[in-house]
Amino acid sequence: MTTYIIRRLLYTIPIVLGVLLLTFVLFTVVGGDVSIEIAGKNATPETIEEIREEYGLNKPLFLSWDSQFINHFKSALTFDFGRARDRELVVDKIKRGVWPSLALTVPMFFGVLIISVSLALVVAFVRGSAWDVFAVVVCVAGMSIPYLSFILLGQYFFAYKLGLFPIFFSPDLSMAEYVALPVLIGIVTGLGANVRFYRTVMLDEIRSDYVRTAFAKGLDARRVLFKHVLKNAMIPIITRVVLAIPFLFLGSLLLERFFGIPGLGYLMIEAIGSRDYFVINAMTYISAILFVIFNVITDICYGLVDPRISFD
Amino acid sequence: MNGRGGAFKFFLFLLLAIMAGCDSSSPGDDSNEMILYANLPTKIRGLDTGDIGDVYSAMIAGQFFECLYQYDYLKRPYEVIPHVAEGMPQISKDGLTYIIKIKKGVYFADDKCFLGGKGRELKSSDFVFAWKRIANIKYFSKNWWVFDGKIVGLDEFREYSKNCKSAADVDYSREVEGLQTPDDYTLVIRLKKAWPQIVYLLAHQPTAPIAKEAVVYYGKDIVNHPVGTGPFKLKVWHRGSYIEMVRNPNYREEFYPSKGEPGDAEGGYLDDVGKRIPMVDRLFFVLIEEDQPRWLQFLRGKIDAASIPKDNYGQAIDVSRDLTPEMKKLNIHLKTFKNPDTFWIGFNMEDDVLGKNKALRKAISYAIDREKYIKVFWNNRDDIAYGFIPPVMKAYNPEISKLGIGYDLEKARHLLKEAETIHGGKLPTLTFSMGGADTLARQIGQFYQRSFKDLGLDIEVAYMDWPTFQDKVKTKSVQMFSLGWVADYPDTESFLQLFYSKNVSPGTNNFNYSNPEFDELYERVAVMPDSPQRTELYRKAELMVIEDCPAAFINHRVAYILHHDWCMNYKPHIFQYGLAKYRRIDMKKRAAYKELLKKVK
Repeated sequence: MTTYIIRRLLYTIPIVLGVLLLTFVLFTVVGGDVSIEIAGKNATPETIEEIREEYGLNKPLFLSWDSQFINHFKSALTFDFGRARDRELVVDKIKRGVWPSLALTVPMFFGVLIISVSLALVVAFVRGSAWDVFAVVVCVAGMSIPYLSFILLGQYFFAYKLGLFPIFFSPDLSMAEYVALPVLIGIVTGLGANVRFYRTVMLDEIRSDYVRTAFAKGLDARRVLFKHVLKNAMIPIITRVVLAIPFLFLGSLLLERFFGIPGLGYLMIEAIGSRDYFVINAMTYISAILFVIFNVITDICYGLVDPRISFD
Repeated sequence: MNGRGGAFKFFLFLLLAIMAGCDSSSPGDDSNEMILYANLPTKIRGLDTGDIGDVYSAMIAGQFFECLYQYDYLKRPYEVIPHVAEGMPQISKDGLTYIIKIKKGVYFADDKCFLGGKGRELKSSDFVFAWKRIANIKYFSKNWWVFDGKIVGLDEFREYSKNCKSAADVDYSREVEGLQTPDDYTLVIRLKKAWPQIVYLLAHQPTAPIAKEAVVYYGKDIVNHPVGTGPFKLKVWHRGSYIEMVRNPNYREEFYPSKGEPGDAEGGYLDDVGKRIPMVDRLFFVLIEEDQPRWLQFLRGKIDAASIPKDNYGQAIDVSRDLTPEMKKLNIHLKTFKNPDTFWIGFNMEDDVLGKNKALRKAISYAIDREKYIKVFWNNRDDIAYGFIPPVMKAYNPEISKLGIGYDLEKARHLLKEAETIHGGKLPTLTFSMGGADTLARQIGQFYQRSFKDLGLDIEVAYMDWPTFQDKVKTKSVQMFSLGWVADYPDTESFLQLFYSKNVSPGTNNFNYSNPEFDELYERVAVMPDSPQRTELYRKAELMVIEDCPAAFINHRVAYILHHDWCMNYKPHIFQYGLAKYRRIDMKKRAAYKELLKKVK
């Protein structure tokens, strides 16, 4: 297995290089010279030159040891993304935003996962019954109601009317306090689609011969569902779950905006709103790297849960 | 741990984590520190006073920086009084020389840019440095208009800076004849010509002193490091989230004003006479861009004062334009006043399509149903703008509704046909830039898009955050844009200078409008003292602008501000920069609000 992991990690090197090349081509070659965007349409050549000098845009694109690509490569590997357009270091912005984002998305992620897998198992077990139909209707309804409605309702009813949660971020609140309601809303809104998906996965498994055999042998429903069915349904669950993890770092755009959570989702919206290519570039690169890493983890997990998959 | 037990424990943890979030605190519960909670509706561009040209940045910077003069907090009409100046200026007989004494014992806030991190005493040379810096053409200040053509030798200094390679290469020790500092506490200003508004401008933020050490130490990053002599200093600036300020320990002894106008005593504005300011220890400006959370935070008591969002107007104000019983039960106070401002859709006159096509600009202006706009977005609170002079200014023309441009779709369509002929075919899609991406900004964008669609004109709306928008306007990178102007001083000249050709972007003339006839009139009127003749000329200049139509004037705002009863000394003031030093928080009332809210709900 160690050899397999090392081999898979080595495979990621050309992928990371590819990501670096792609982000460079996208932001520098296709996107054009950012100095004109920063300086404005009617800037003097001196101003544009000053900006090009500051951001190293006056250097050759590829063919030099001091080229823009090599510098892009170096800065990406050292996580030194330079300064944002508001003159703050990009890496400082990311470091500051990562914890609020994780505080929001990690509980949301586990909450949705555990509740939806458990519910899906139960619903699949009682398939065709009134409870199953009810669950499907509720899931579809949950998926159909706009996300924003949950946010506005949550803010008004649970936070303002009932006073159970803070309405919005405030500097005098702890992180646990200001993410509580958004986490709850995130879990509720995530259940619809996830229960539907896992229900389908569980139904495929529940119809298998080994389940019928297990019941015939007299095993109780809880043991059949949680030990046998769940274990066999792990492949699609792992695929969905592990590949969702990189996105946890990106936070949640809407929740962060409406609750004022100073996370990476908010940072990304800000960067788009202010045409801050330096922040967008850094965030794109980090997301891509995380995606590659978690792809490797997914492959490893496949081998761990499914004995039919060999590391050789 | 087996799977089932693990899941149960995780659920328990999750529940506890969420319950930990249940809000049991109220502002001010934890300590006796006097904290003021305010809201920022948009991100700010920067805190370098030399280049601040927008109200939001100025509102924040006003807590850190001080000018030579300021407006009395209580007296009306607004009266200029000394701030860091020792007294009012001594003016020579010809009105061209101003001698200003500076207070002793005024210190900059401690900052690492100073030797040993200790703020030094303010000197007259700090003013000279700040003003030369604005004159430096390589610095691209928005505020050169303040000094342009006014001080002996400063225009020559600007000319000299043209030949320097960059802003940092400019030699600030180069003498400017009209700016002399005989000693550290005396500033002598020699003018080229009469400048009746000079004292107002010396109370205007761009003229605040800057420590050279800060500029040298921080370089371009000075936008993030305000180092001033004001009552507060920056503690945390989390861009995109909040700004925290604390009392500046170096702040000199200043006291709450002792005289106001009739009614101030009854209004409680004289309760703190003679008390040392600032009274609050800490200020939080929290960025809340969306209306609903801002409104709910205010009702919950997490923000001390707020404007009323359009969708909550009915909840706050009744048909007689008074507070609703619900608001009265919460001891909320209402302050309304007409703002000296005008909002418009600006046209970039250097744009190939718009600049040469007056018929097109007029067609756009006639196509906007201002009444509907004010009804839909401002609950019929605002006044329609037919010109740029606001109704609260002395020079406001009572006949302007007949002389200016209003809604007339038929006329607009006729003008559009003419515009197409001038353009030589179908007009291209125009880009309309909005300085905000929140729900209200998007709704306003859609309103205009629809209005112009009815006219037969396609526009694309570009939404961007406030600092980016400001930068784009400053660099002439917009075609049409939604913006406004709030008077910097109580003289209509503050509006007139917006159309003076020497003030084109990066200056305040964002329209990049140029009309020699207007310029000639402006130069004549700018040096005139207040008189009926000057008022007439102001009005003439306004009509000239309306005819050329570099902007479609939309509305003049009427402020409806709500504040909680614990927020004391909340007297409306149209020059709202740096007023936090006068505020006081009644901590007992704030602490009692939670119970009151429960009772009312």
